[in-house]
Amino acid sequence: MIGRLGKRLMPAALTTGSLLAFVAFWQVVSLYTNPDFLPSPGRVWDEAVRLFHTPVGGKDILAHVGFSLRRVLTAYLWATVLGLPLGLCMGWNRTCEKIVSPIFELLRPIPPIAWIPIAILWLGVAEGSKVFICFVGSFVILVLNSYTGMRYVDPLLIDAARSFGASRRQQFFNVAVPACLPSIFAGLQNALSMAWMCVLAAELVGAREGVGFIIIQGMDLNRPPMILVGMILIGIVGSLLAASLRWAERALCPWRRELV
Amino acid sequence: METAATYPYAANRKTKVQVENLTKCYGDLLVLDKINFEIYQGELLCIVGPTGCGKTTFLNCLSQFIPMTEGSILVDGVPASPEIHNIAFVFQEVSAIPWLTVEDNIRFGLRIKRLPEAEIELRTERMLDLVGLRKYRTYYPQQLSASMEQRVVIARNFAINPDLLLMDEPYGQLDVKLRYYLEDELIRIWKELGSTVAFITHNIEEAIYLAERILILSPKPSTIKEEVIVDLPRPRQYDDPEFVRLREYVTERIKWW
Repeated sequence: MIGRLGKRLMPAALTTGSLLAFVAFWQVVSLYTNPDFLPSPGRVWDEAVRLFHTPVGGKDILAHVGFSLRRVLTAYLWATVLGLPLGLCMGWNRTCEKIVSPIFELLRPIPPIAWIPIAILWLGVAEGSKVFICFVGSFVILVLNSYTGMRYVDPLLIDAARSFGASRRQQFFNVAVPACLPSIFAGLQNALSMAWMCVLAAELVGAREGVGFIIIQGMDLNRPPMILVGMILIGIVGSLLAASLRWAERALCPWRRELV
Repeated sequence: METAATYPYAANRKTKVQVENLTKCYGDLLVLDKINFEIYQGELLCIVGPTGCGKTTFLNCLSQFIPMTEGSILVDGVPASPEIHNIAFVFQEVSAIPWLTVEDNIRFGLRIKRLPEAEIELRTERMLDLVGLRKYRTYYPQQLSASMEQRVVIARNFAINPDLLLMDEPYGQLDVKLRYYLEDELIRIWKELGSTVAFITHNIEEAIYLAERILILSPKPSTIKEEVIVDLPRPRQYDDPEFVRLREYVTERIKWW
């Protein structure tokens, strides 16, 4: 009995333990360093509490997270709507692949951050350019993942459908698309993380709100704890986003539950 | 071929599939050379041949996965076509759909063929009973053993009531004990449903255990070298002298050296 209970509690204990150890390590290091250089966990916590009650740049901290999230999700939605079908098409149809992939291969190595100047030039410093940067980052990942997923669909499964006289349309929707759901999901997760990273890059360049703005504000006001609060917020929101998608995958791909 | 008088096997049997002059070339390479034969309604036919004799090409032509160079395949007197006929295919590799449960795998072909929902349910239930997978109906293929997965595939193919069921060494990758078990199961389902089955194997013992009739293919370019009628009572015994004699005979005939 104790053994079984122990087995179930073990992972949770390890997770909590490793987080506590990390904070403890941070505390110890901060004791021996200049507090302006590395603020202690306690000071960062106090700063977080303060930020929850005092607005920065006219908005409270949750509003800033909301601003960043809205940019990310807008871009992500567009990237999904445009990127997924494009990638699936490229993987399924040779003609489509031949037409799209040369252009795509050329644009792919350009990091999203490199798009910032041109995005500002085209869309101004307001929302448009930030959303665009996030869009570029997640779009590329979504296209690539759905494309490779489609390329690696087991031909045996397609043949099985063909042997029942499935039309091309049926082969696509009944076999190919579900077969690449796992790689689509991997793409959705990576794309969301990428969009979240890109929004910060975009906000660091020029924004009056958002999590990136908090970090810049902390730098301008010379408040290291504020910078760290911004960074930790980024980490927390990012991992919550990833966790929610993992949960969605488990709900939508039940046959993979045993594997994950 | 021969008349019913000299060929008693065909008496009272109706031709289901008629293959005429089936020829397949890959460029200059002649793989199948004017193959002629028929498969009778409700027959369990085995096709054996030496390795590399083009068994897979042969099946792919029959199932019309690849176009034949020459010749014709008639099902019930009409050129075979996926729109009219049901030609099912059990591959050598297990082709259960990983994201569908056992019961949905069985429904898969029926749904592709857009059968009425009530009919789909009726047939699915019947197949679940026939292959004895009722207990596992909500399992995913990954949760099953390889032999159970192959049974799911076999159920899925029998469910569409195929005009012709082609099986390409479906038990090739299973161990002997499971193979015996599944061979018996195949015979049981075939008898129960009266399906027409063409079973390709390189395992002569398996062919003699299953078949009513065996076609022996020659090495490339393949033709039908001989036809052997296996008229042994079932269940067949591997150590029955007649069984052994047939096995040795077919082995002798298959040799090309």
